[in-house]
Amino acid sequence: MTQSVAETSAARLAGTAETGEAVHAVAPVSLVGTLPVLGPTTARRVFRHPAVTSALSFACFILAWWAVAVWTASPIQLPSPPAVASALIDLAQDGELFDNVSVSFVRLLISMAAAALLALPLGFSMGLSERVNSYVDPLLEMLRPISGIAWIPLGLFIFGIGGTLPVFIMAYVAFFPMLLNTVAGVRGSDRKLVAAARTMGVSPLRIVRLVVLPGALPTIIVGVRIAFAGAWAAIIAAELIGSPSGLGFAIEWYRELLMSPNVFAYIIVVSAVGYTCDLLLQLLRRRLTPWASGAELA
Amino acid sequence: MSDGLAGALAPRPEPRWATPARGAALPLLLLAAWQAWATTQPDITRAPSPVQVAATFVRLTASGDLPVSLLQSLGRVLGGFAAALVLGIVLGIAMGTSRTVRAAVEPIVESFRPVAPMAVLPIAILWFGTGTPAALSIVGYAAFFPLLLNTVHGVSQVDRTLLQAARTMGVPRLRILRKVVLPASLPSILLGARLALGVAWTAIIAAELAVGAKSGGGGSGGIGAMMFVFYAYSIDLNGIVACMIVIGLVALAIDRLFRGLERRLTPWRH
Repeated sequence: MTQSVAETSAARLAGTAETGEAVHAVAPVSLVGTLPVLGPTTARRVFRHPAVTSALSFACFILAWWAVAVWTASPIQLPSPPAVASALIDLAQDGELFDNVSVSFVRLLISMAAAALLALPLGFSMGLSERVNSYVDPLLEMLRPISGIAWIPLGLFIFGIGGTLPVFIMAYVAFFPMLLNTVAGVRGSDRKLVAAARTMGVSPLRIVRLVVLPGALPTIIVGVRIAFAGAWAAIIAAELIGSPSGLGFAIEWYRELLMSPNVFAYIIVVSAVGYTCDLLLQLLRRRLTPWASGAELA
Repeated sequence: MSDGLAGALAPRPEPRWATPARGAALPLLLLAAWQAWATTQPDITRAPSPVQVAATFVRLTASGDLPVSLLQSLGRVLGGFAAALVLGIVLGIAMGTSRTVRAAVEPIVESFRPVAPMAVLPIAILWFGTGTPAALSIVGYAAFFPLLLNTVHGVSQVDRTLLQAARTMGVPRLRILRKVVLPASLPSILLGARLALGVAWTAIIAAELAVGAKSGGGGSGGIGAMMFVFYAYSIDLNGIVACMIVIGLVALAIDRLFRGLERRLTPWRH
């Protein structure tokens, strides 16, 4: 059934006339603009501003959470928003929150740096030379489907429980998107510009630095963003299973103690840190590559 | 396929076998080095080698342990994925067609998105215990976001001229949805589904591992729990590596399957 839909739409997109069955050739019953697809109508003008709608819906979400918490009356399974807020404040005043965030964040930075150190040079050489690519690419394509998470048991054996395991797992997770985007970015750089620079006798290293790098940079930064999102998801798993510190450890620790407000508080912190970092990366992208328009999906 | 920049500027004819031979060189070399290293180690369960991994794989498959665990994990993934598919596409279409719905739902979605499925696992355990429902909810949570975001993207990219044309001719809303919006956003939805299933597969491994690690014994089953048993109880590194390879192969199969599906269902894109 889906296929037939796809085919009719294919015909439609290709511009072939299709009459009768699909479309009624009758006078319009509805006025243009009554469908929500095109946006504002008079009825919605009050709450039209997206910011107002967003704030309202967020408030509704918190209220709904509160209502459910009161209704279930089971503070271990679902603590109320004020309980979580006060847990958050306590943890922050304690300094414990800051400790765990900084531990996780430092691990994140180390692993991103390690992944970048490996992925960027390799990505450039793979993108520039078909020979290097043909040697390395099959091996990487064999490793890539094995998710970082699947390395945790083996990593536990090699590194033991501690800070190295999360760093290894995150670097592994971050490596592939950075590499693939670097290769794609380098390959996508304008060949005419490279040829022009070459004709004018610019040295290969300068071509890479002045022509290929700026051309590839937007794609590379997208790779860094994807890598960050993956690493931020992986760190929780790695710390939860095999580390005595960090955000993932703290979440699991308080679950075992059945201190749910603290569990929820830490989850909010995970969200806030992840969101902030993503915003910073987008800011960085706009700063570094203001010429690139940002159509991207993580 | 596409040549490197240097290759394009200085093309050189090569025999056809050159590329595959090069591609095989590095993996074979690594396998040989790994096998050589393993033979120097005294304890074969702690020093996995390619030969032992293959032998373990055959043994686990013959005994039925591996297929059973794999099916259990796959069943959970499909269950969670199906729920996410329905929710993600319905909500995605609503968000893609209505600005108000989008403005209302987006901040909530965006604040949950950076929260890894594994961070939600403790809550899922609190709510559902350590069995299959917790695993299903984690998988559903993980798969939901790629599906939703790509559906929203696809729906908001639908050609407005087509929509206006359909509307001018008085096509009812539901029909527009089915005949115009859905087909036009199908490529995006399929991409979302591919990403979502990949993420779901990762999430189930993580969930089973963590449940195995934290509930003291792999009572819940699945390939992740099996790996944890190999790590914590029977200390069999060959088994762990065999599981890793199976996990990789399943991920690869999921990816290929969906790419094939994309080619079949949206042939005009290729």
